[in-house]
Amino acid sequence: MNGEIFNANPTVYASKRSARKSKFEAGQSLWIDEQYQPELSSESEVEPIDEDEIFGGFQAFLTPKLIQITHIVTDLIRFIADPEHPNSLEELRVVSAEQIKIGDNHIMVEFTPTVPHCGMSTLIGLSIRVRLMRSLPQRFKVDIRVKPGSHQSELAVNKQLNDKERVAAALENAALLETLEKCLEPVGGPNSL
Amino acid sequence: MTTAERLVRSWMASEKDSEVDESVAGISSGQLTLLDIIKALGEFLTSKEDRLRTKGVEFLSSVLGRCPHEKLNRQAIRVLTTFYCSKLEDLETIIPALNGLSYLVKFPNIQSAEVKDIINAIFANVKMRALVQSTRFFVFSIVNSLIASHRDTLKEMGSAFLAGYVNLAVGEKDPRNLMLAFAIARVVLAEFDTLAHTEDFFDITFCYFPITFRPPPDDPYGISADDLKQSLRLCLCATPAFGLLGIPVFLEKLTAGSPSTKRDTLHAMDTCLPVYGPVVARELGKKIWSSLKIEIFQPTDPDTEHSALNTFQFLLRTMHADKSQDAVGEDSITSLAQDMCSECIQTLKEPEKSQARAAMKVICAFARANGPLSSFAVSQAAELLIRNFHDPDEVSNRASVVILLTELIEACRGDVTHASVSQSSQSTLSPLAASKDPLLGLLIVSLKGPATCLPALHGLNALVRTPKLVADDELGYIVLEVSELLRKEPDEVEDVTMDTLALLSTIAGIAPHHLSSQTLPILFSFLPDVAPSRDAITQRASYWRALSSLSALCVQPQLFETLVVRLIAKLDILCAILSSRTIDQESTAAYAHAILTALANTLDVKVSSKDVDVPKYAEQLLPHMFRLYLDAALASSEVVAIAADPRLLQVGARIIRLVSQTLTVAGQEKLVAAVFAAYTQGDVKLITGGLLNSAIPFAPLHLNASPRQRNSFTLFSSTIVSLRKEVRMPVDNLSTFLSELVAWSDSPSSTILQREAASHVLASNVNKHVDDASDFLTSQLEGYSSSALKNTSIPAEARKNAISTWISITRALLVRSHPSANAFINHLFELLDDNTVDWDAARAIGLLASEDVILTKRNDAVLKILHVQKYFNVVMPRLLEGAKGSRRETSYLVALAYLINAVPKAIYASQMPSLMPILLRGLDLVDPSIRSHIINTLSNNIDVTSADKDAVSMYASTLVLAMLKNCMCSEMPDPGVRVAALKYLALLPGTVRYDLLHPYKTRVLKELAKVLDDPKRAVRKEAVIARTNWYKYSG
Repeated sequence: MNGEIFNANPTVYASKRSARKSKFEAGQSLWIDEQYQPELSSESEVEPIDEDEIFGGFQAFLTPKLIQITHIVTDLIRFIADPEHPNSLEELRVVSAEQIKIGDNHIMVEFTPTVPHCGMSTLIGLSIRVRLMRSLPQRFKVDIRVKPGSHQSELAVNKQLNDKERVAAALENAALLETLEKCLEPVGGPNSL
Repeated sequence: MTTAERLVRSWMASEKDSEVDESVAGISSGQLTLLDIIKALGEFLTSKEDRLRTKGVEFLSSVLGRCPHEKLNRQAIRVLTTFYCSKLEDLETIIPALNGLSYLVKFPNIQSAEVKDIINAIFANVKMRALVQSTRFFVFSIVNSLIASHRDTLKEMGSAFLAGYVNLAVGEKDPRNLMLAFAIARVVLAEFDTLAHTEDFFDITFCYFPITFRPPPDDPYGISADDLKQSLRLCLCATPAFGLLGIPVFLEKLTAGSPSTKRDTLHAMDTCLPVYGPVVARELGKKIWSSLKIEIFQPTDPDTEHSALNTFQFLLRTMHADKSQDAVGEDSITSLAQDMCSECIQTLKEPEKSQARAAMKVICAFARANGPLSSFAVSQAAELLIRNFHDPDEVSNRASVVILLTELIEACRGDVTHASVSQSSQSTLSPLAASKDPLLGLLIVSLKGPATCLPALHGLNALVRTPKLVADDELGYIVLEVSELLRKEPDEVEDVTMDTLALLSTIAGIAPHHLSSQTLPILFSFLPDVAPSRDAITQRASYWRALSSLSALCVQPQLFETLVVRLIAKLDILCAILSSRTIDQESTAAYAHAILTALANTLDVKVSSKDVDVPKYAEQLLPHMFRLYLDAALASSEVVAIAADPRLLQVGARIIRLVSQTLTVAGQEKLVAAVFAAYTQGDVKLITGGLLNSAIPFAPLHLNASPRQRNSFTLFSSTIVSLRKEVRMPVDNLSTFLSELVAWSDSPSSTILQREAASHVLASNVNKHVDDASDFLTSQLEGYSSSALKNTSIPAEARKNAISTWISITRALLVRSHPSANAFINHLFELLDDNTVDWDAARAIGLLASEDVILTKRNDAVLKILHVQKYFNVVMPRLLEGAKGSRRETSYLVALAYLINAVPKAIYASQMPSLMPILLRGLDLVDPSIRSHIINTLSNNIDVTSADKDAVSMYASTLVLAMLKNCMCSEMPDPGVRVAALKYLALLPGTVRYDLLHPYKTRVLKELAKVLDDPKRAVRKEAVIARTNWYKYSG
């Protein structure tokens, strides 16, 4: 990033905490200590993928020890780093849980650039796409959009992000891929819990 | 031929060290004099042949180097000095001559006249650039020695010395020489009058800044970049005269450098600024500030930002160093500091922006400075932010304002590391004192808003922890308002309970009475007298919320007492024995269980922090607990007795154990006597403190005892396990008692709970009183082993139970390294060949090495260090042998897997290469727990095994395929194994060379894509991590 900074002084928001309920709190058990049971019980209960998982709300669910082990944990998109600032996308409100919609094998992610002329929008969008491409089962179709009205070249950005040829081409560019990997290294990460 | 001549000639021919040694020995003993040697050398020293001349001087220098210091008188030194100085002119002899001088200057007899001669000769004849490193090193060590011993002579030489030295030192590049050069420069700059040569010295020191030296691998000289940085930094800050010249250099490096250079520069400025003094700091302050501003407002990384803030504080302090401390008021603040402050205040006007955070960090640096500076900046910032908070147009930014204010409060609190600061802040008022009231009001208002609540709690916490700021009645007000938050239903999105409790706990340490009068009543009101019904989910959640809050807050002694009294009363109502089934038994039991758990959790915290008030609860709490449980145990099976529930008994046992651990020997003796009276003689009066009188006999150890009575044995066991070694069991014969206990536990009607309790008593007693129990051990080895352990005619279930009993006895002996442990272990090995219980025996062999909760330091068990290692060294070879060839290899493999999983990895790391093939074979066993044990072992050792490259790399492809198989939902139904396998896969890219696994990359990515669709969330999460790592994996 040679010199030009698109938004030198962005607004920073506090990141939200969210936690899944234990079995006791969810009213499935009378006994309080059943919340300590690991989620790995071999019951054949199926836990579907939901918005929180895409957004990465489930670290609160782990025991502290597990968090330590997986401190490089790749929480799907909330901890992606902003290319310009040492903040995560969540802290800058570029993405939020409300902006993710999950349908039947279809995911729609909307993000909001901090300023309408932000030249980093495609990079941010691309990092979201790569993260999801690597982390979601292939049955999902992923659409990534800039929030309507939040960017001056909205259509171009949307088109670029959802063109799989262009995404594939971008990933063959070694320099770009390196910048991308840097964004995908989590900022703060779950340690900020 | 004289001795000297003989020595000289033979050295000239052979160059052997022995001749030098012999000469030195001759000089030391007085048989030879240095003069003899010089005479003998005569023809060589003046020889026309270059080579001979060099060698001649070389020999003399080597002798001089080892010559004892007292053997040379002034005369001799004078002669040698003149001689060497003349040899400096000769290009052929300059190297040995400098070497000789470097020895000569260490002699104590050297006089100032000689010093001057030497220095002048060096300045006149030595051309540093023409010499190699080792020779230049002699020059530097000569100057260094002279500076150490003849500083005044050199000072007299004045300008001649300074100019000459600069000429020598300029252009030096070798780190070994630089270490000396920096040391010399430091002394010269600090003690000599260098004013006229400031620029020269500036040139020969600042040209090295910043040091980018990186020592070569296996550096034989052991000079690190840090050593150089350290000694250069001492030069840079040696004189205030460098100020005007040095600062611009620093600033230039700061702007242009890499992050590490920036940090280095900032640290150098930290040490230099105070030396350069206030005048320089004020003159260049503006430039320094604008450079630091960039580092703070557009930080490259957190470390550099932190260093920049630190430097900023040094700048502030230096700028105001000459202002007297007493001058209160704004006059003493330089206009530059005022400008800096107002610049930050300007930025704070947009509190929601990221730059406001940076500006606040600068203000915090002001706050940490002393006196007027601090109050000047703090009052302005606080005033601005408070005004902003109340501005109706800025309501949406309130959260940011509160966050910034919290940072300010934290900064004003001063940190404990700066002892001087905190001392002075105790005498003076906190800079926040003036704005305390509006601040408090603002924070209280913020508590009401959902967005500002959390930051406000943090702010209040910082405020409360500031010494001497908040008055007692204000604390009461805070408690009143904050307690209201506990009354509310927890917010779905933003749960502030944890932070509320953190704040209240802080206050509990300062003023507990506010909590007991305002917070506790609210929380107790959430605890109903009757358990909520099965479908009342919200009530259940709310009582547990209240209980966990109580448990967190009531660690403080006074509050804990209230908690105990209130909760016991609640339990008495809930657990009353009823003859009719009018209540929902399970809900009530679950509620009582929750109450007991809360109590036990608080006790646990108190015991861990060694609170002194715990022992008194042996009198105040334990009798109630025993009454509750024994009452239920005595009740007939027709009536409802909530406290007879095994789950409740377990929490009760935990509470009893915690209290009993803290008792003195006398206290424990009293307790154990009462417990024995109840359990062996049926006299329950003593243990329940007279609260229980029963007509039904209490005899839980009787073979026909009711299940409820038998269950209550858990409480007995929990009292016994934490007894100290000195406390004897009140029984006539310990062996008989233990044998009876084994029989009781082996009774067919025993439940797991009962057997576990019995085995705890066994383990604890065998461990602490092994000498009293020798009869018991013999009977176990001789009788029990054949009648139960290896008796194939009794049911398999009974034999498995016997193995568990066996484990606890063996482990009790093992941890104290008792010799009879081996006999017990041998019996387990014999069982590995048995068809029915081989796996149990194998598991037992592993379990013996694992940690347990009974034989711990806290329970005063006898523990020998390294007992695990000893056990491992005995057992491991036998297992390895068995796993290789015997026909029961599976059970050996199982034992191996359990054992390795139980011991710390350092014990077996060296054997890893031979273990690898066996472990890989173990991955084919069907049992999921064994598989996950093995995979965990592999993950734990991935760094160790990859250190010697072979172990992992050799098997890398096998490992990848095995793990892929184990992470598929379709092939491995146990999610624990799938998670372990994925974790292992995620580790591989970090440790194995890429070229080894390149053929598998595509396949792994493809297979992992399927795992991303696993039904379990935890598995998917691990799959994401593993897949990301494999994507990044490349050559």
